[in-house]
Amino acid sequence: MTRIWNESGFQNDDPWVIETEETKAGSNQKPIVSLQSFIERAEAGETGLGVLIQPADDVRRVAPYLDRIALVALSFPAFNDGRAFSHASLLRERVGYAGEVRAVGDVLIDQIPLMLRVGITSFAVTNPVALKRLEEKRLPGIDVHYQPTARPAKKAEGYSWRRVS
Amino acid sequence: MALQILTANRLTDGVAVWYDVDGRWSESIAGAQIARTKEEADRLEAIGRKAFEDNLVLDVNLIDVEETEAGIRPLRLRERIRAEGPTIDYSVLA
Amino acid sequence: MYRYDEFDHAFVAGRVAQFRDQVERRLSGEISEDAFRPLRLMNGVYLQLHAYMLRIAIPYGTLNAKQMRMLAHIARKYDRGYGHFTTRQNIQFNWPKLEDTPAIMEELATVEMHAIQTSGNCIRNVTADHFAGAAADEAADPRPYAEILRQWSSVHPEFSFLPRKFKIAVTGAERDRAAIQVHDIGLHLRKNDKGELGFDVYVGGGQGRTPMVGKKIRDFLPEEDLLSYVTAIMRVYNLYGRRDNKYKARIKILVHETGVEKLSAEIEEEFRHLRDSELKLPEEDVARIRAFFAAPALPERPEGWANLAAWKKADPDFARWVDQNVKPHKHPDYGMVTISLKPIGGIPGDASHQQMDLIADLAEEYAFDELRISHEQNVILPHVALADLEAIYRALKPANLATANSDLITDIIACPGLDYCALANARSIPVAQEISKRFGSAERQAEIGELKIKISGCINACGHHHVGHIGLLGVEKKGAELYQITLGGSADNETSIGEIIGRGFEPEKVTDAVETVVNTYLGLRLSPQETFLEAYRRVGPQPFKDALYGATAEAA
Repeated sequence: MTRIWNESGFQNDDPWVIETEETKAGSNQKPIVSLQSFIERAEAGETGLGVLIQPADDVRRVAPYLDRIALVALSFPAFNDGRAFSHASLLRERVGYAGEVRAVGDVLIDQIPLMLRVGITSFAVTNPVALKRLEEKRLPGIDVHYQPTARPAKKAEGYSWRRVS
Repeated sequence: MALQILTANRLTDGVAVWYDVDGRWSESIAGAQIARTKEEADRLEAIGRKAFEDNLVLDVNLIDVEETEAGIRPLRLRERIRAEGPTIDYSVLA
Repeated sequence: MYRYDEFDHAFVAGRVAQFRDQVERRLSGEISEDAFRPLRLMNGVYLQLHAYMLRIAIPYGTLNAKQMRMLAHIARKYDRGYGHFTTRQNIQFNWPKLEDTPAIMEELATVEMHAIQTSGNCIRNVTADHFAGAAADEAADPRPYAEILRQWSSVHPEFSFLPRKFKIAVTGAERDRAAIQVHDIGLHLRKNDKGELGFDVYVGGGQGRTPMVGKKIRDFLPEEDLLSYVTAIMRVYNLYGRRDNKYKARIKILVHETGVEKLSAEIEEEFRHLRDSELKLPEEDVARIRAFFAAPALPERPEGWANLAAWKKADPDFARWVDQNVKPHKHPDYGMVTISLKPIGGIPGDASHQQMDLIADLAEEYAFDELRISHEQNVILPHVALADLEAIYRALKPANLATANSDLITDIIACPGLDYCALANARSIPVAQEISKRFGSAERQAEIGELKIKISGCINACGHHHVGHIGLLGVEKKGAELYQITLGGSADNETSIGEIIGRGFEPEKVTDAVETVVNTYLGLRLSPQETFLEAYRRVGPQPFKDALYGATAEAA
């Protein structure tokens, strides 16, 4: 089963559903649609939209429609496909999107600390070990960082590129 | 089909091991269990898969061998080197 | 050299704890091998033919005696008493247990060492000229920038799952000793007319299956833009590098398939956004890091001149060692010493724990506690008074560390090959040993002059065979080993990829083939001053093809 987690804990009433050929959002649910579909809907004036960014998408294409977005989901089809880390970074730093960014797909516990640092704020988690570790609030990150990232962090003593969580 | 045996590396220390006639993962190729038919090879493969899932070994493979007077001999050079160790004397230093 | 502060210690301690947790989860089965593999690779742990292999980082090849002694200790305590220095200035141990690796990391941390990102699809060890800070021809020491890049790239969340590995090299002299043009990013540190420091930036060099020479995409990038510009390159690569085919996933393929102009424009566009961001390098930070790399205070030692002349006269072997293995230093009373890890008939790049301890002692006593590892798999003492050369030589000789063969034909680079490596198709070490023995005599080596042989046991080219004057690539053909010869490769300023000259040679024939190549060179060179590489570039492959395969060749 998939649960939604953010830094406040597991969220039990999440309304978002990734729309596919087979799966459509129900009456109390909100659809997360493809980038192309999102652009069409945004152009048509819809608001409160959810958009799914695939690794090969250009995430900057959402820029003209920031006020129409309620959720950006970034796809990690395999945990080692690292493109979404750049999508998250661009979304925050370049596009200036400040709302919820969710990691979906192959979300594992060891990557969650990295995902948080690039500005991802919620996680659709299926992996049992990841679920267990999140329940125990045991994230395997390192609290000192050698580079500024999309998520703002406190400057550390020493050199300008260092940060602390 | 060629004769086959099951080999892997032990998870804890990475040492090359072969599945032997006593059902143990041995550090020597000498007593390796030989599959002579497809059914036996499938059986070995299943044993290998389970050992991987049980976190005993990794990089599990069936390899082709022949039987010689000197014992079991892998057909591939790579596997012969795995069985015998590096062909150079690394202890001769200083 | 760089010294850790509290922040650095906290980081490595955090990393050790993280890795320990990951290993425990793997041993208990909580994490699968598929999920664990990239994590262990990012901590330098490989699985090879006989055992795991641990690759420990030696940042830009620089270390001190305490660190070298720790490597000796690890060899003794956790391995089989020796280690192997690599073509990326790191060290590899061939027999560690996975369950011991967290303890090894903990011990390494006590001497400011680690194995972070020595493997995996991330930014690897930033390598540098092994004579940095000492060479007479250097414009500026590139290592402060290698250190800045090392820090910045450590556990970079955006760039931890790249399409493939990423290698950066930096040089600060006109003569490139860091092979920057066969790296994913090559940086040439230099001064402009105003005396300001900046980088010529090369992108898309690399060896392996499709060797390519890097293209210069930036002339003189100002020093303060280093991190912004490298971030721009990395982001473009991370987004657009191929992920469908492991053999087409390096940035060199992206450069080739996109075109250098178009890709460079994309990088510049991204850089435009990043240039004035928090990635700009403040001069005081650069200055503080540079201060760590200040050369030691070198006392005048003029007595070395007269002494050296006398010692050389008295001992021709010593003279040969000085002439070959000691290179000019910025300071006239000093030299840069190459400790050869290529004894005749020995295993290139390997050192025993006893040898490591001895080298550590010598570094402390005579060399201001500074050591380097070169990408040619030798150890360097960069600051040695000429007056101390004799004592060092006497200490090195009984330990089999005084082979006078730097840059000569027996100074062979060889990867571990099929004796160790799970990726290999053929062995490299025995080939290196045979060639070394064939040409081992001092006279023969002197006659031949500078000739760099590089041997790889597979197409991954860890032995850098593509840039060998003579390159040997081991392949598997019909279940047996075969060696392809390439000629005319070079990793210097005019970097060239060696040309394949014909069908391969069996192990028992390859040494003869190399000898045929050498004899052909000796026969056609204009003078002993014309090196093999110069002669090859003048005459091309044909004379060598004829000698090996043509009518004049002996029947195979």
